[in-house]
Amino acid sequence: MASIACFVEKYNFTDSREDVALQTFKHTAEEMGHEFDFMFREGISEIPKYDAVFIRATTDPLYTSYVVSRTASELGLKVVDDPESIQICGNKIHQYLLFKKFNLPHIPTIFINKEEFHHKQLLEIFREFGKPVVIKAPYTSFSRYVEKVACETSFREVAKRFFRKSDVLAVQEFVPTTFDWRVGVLNDKVLYVCKYMIPKGRWKHGAKLRGKPTFIWGRTVSLKVENTPTELQNLALNACKVIGHGLYGVDIKQVGDSYVLVEVNDNPSIYSGYEDLRSKDLYGKIIDFLVD
Amino acid sequence: MLVVSNIDLGTTTPSMKPSAFLKSSVKDLTLNLNNDYRYLKTGYYVSMHAEVLGNTVIPTSKSIIDVNRNPILLLEASKAGIPTNRYLVTSSVKKIMLEIGFPMIVFAVNPFSFDGYKVAKNRSALYRAVKSLGMNYKFAVCAQPLRGNMVSFKAIFGKCQQDEQLGEIAGRVYEVFRIPICKLHVQRVEEKAYLCGLQPLKKEEVLPADLHLISEEVARLSLKGDRLVG
Repeated sequence: MASIACFVEKYNFTDSREDVALQTFKHTAEEMGHEFDFMFREGISEIPKYDAVFIRATTDPLYTSYVVSRTASELGLKVVDDPESIQICGNKIHQYLLFKKFNLPHIPTIFINKEEFHHKQLLEIFREFGKPVVIKAPYTSFSRYVEKVACETSFREVAKRFFRKSDVLAVQEFVPTTFDWRVGVLNDKVLYVCKYMIPKGRWKHGAKLRGKPTFIWGRTVSLKVENTPTELQNLALNACKVIGHGLYGVDIKQVGDSYVLVEVNDNPSIYSGYEDLRSKDLYGKIIDFLVD
Repeated sequence: MLVVSNIDLGTTTPSMKPSAFLKSSVKDLTLNLNNDYRYLKTGYYVSMHAEVLGNTVIPTSKSIIDVNRNPILLLEASKAGIPTNRYLVTSSVKKIMLEIGFPMIVFAVNPFSFDGYKVAKNRSALYRAVKSLGMNYKFAVCAQPLRGNMVSFKAIFGKCQQDEQLGEIAGRVYEVFRIPICKLHVQRVEEKAYLCGLQPLKKEEVLPADLHLISEEVARLSLKGDRLVG
């Protein structure tokens, strides 16, 4: 029997579908004979009492979740997400450099540097990628900090905002699709496959309503893993291999018959009735991996 | 050895600007010199880029992230035998009061701040510290007991202008984390020194005497060549 700490923040329980998924993790672990406790920020000092740590709070090298992950790793505990995965997935610049290095097909991307950002470079970007282009901050998650721009004025406005936090940004060709594939991968095996639909009239899965702070999300269509293209699965697995061997959600765009990587996310969303709809065994597989 | 520096080291030490290095694919031992090694800043990207190229680099991107997260710095330092204080990571003022007690020092756990630490001698000061360092309770803070005097000083390649005791701790911190340029916060309690925190320097804090020391160290490391690390 192992004891697992699941690091969460209060916001993890605000959406009932995520709440149900978290409770399912707990029931599954207990049914398998393990202890499963939710651990909040106040309980970090109790990490050494556990055998494994499962992080469900949003990860980023700047967040408390990284401190939890690194602490658990330094203490020799099994941890999902591991600190190396957080470091690479939390910084899309790092990730695209690895995709380039290992020749993994991805959306055409260039990097812009705060120190050398000028008019001539902007013209070159628009000449190479056409208009619009997508500007992505390295710390993007949940469709935030990714914006589409079609002119120099809006490019400068968005870049200025993103440069406040990061000295390097990614600029990508705009590839419009009606959905993004999401392939869940655990320990070099495909765990689940979904289609994240793009809401009508939008260009990404999660989009902000004009003038309002609320987000609207496209539907999630869950598929049986065996009914999805092998090429899609292979690309997802190859992308994860350059990052690590933990739990990932790989976003892929389909252009005609070919596939290109959008990004690999650590700490992928797992909502009841969505990612798990056709892969009910994902809870058990993740618990098994944690206690292995 | 390739030196990538955002600091002008003078004509005697050839170096590459970070922006030029980030566009290059130079494969060589890389010494990344920067006054500011915070995550997402140029100093971080230089080390990350060098690692993706397969270069051995000082400092590593892992070290850059870890030294700027106070509890991780303390955990890894204590594992390496560097004296540290006990600490508590939380955003709960009540828990800090209960487990640490006054007076105490409070560090931010997020690495956005140049401001170092705050001293809290009473409840209201602690509330203010947790609120400001935790960015309105968004992040946790790291609290440590204050049992002696705090000393903050520059450490350049593990060397400092202070006494032997502080010089020793600066040397040990450099051995473990390999951050060439930084400021250390150390607490002296009776005859012992404890590492409390590390923070980047502002560019104007790097003085001509420091530049001289940096150039000397770079020249020394260039001679050492492949024994640069370890």
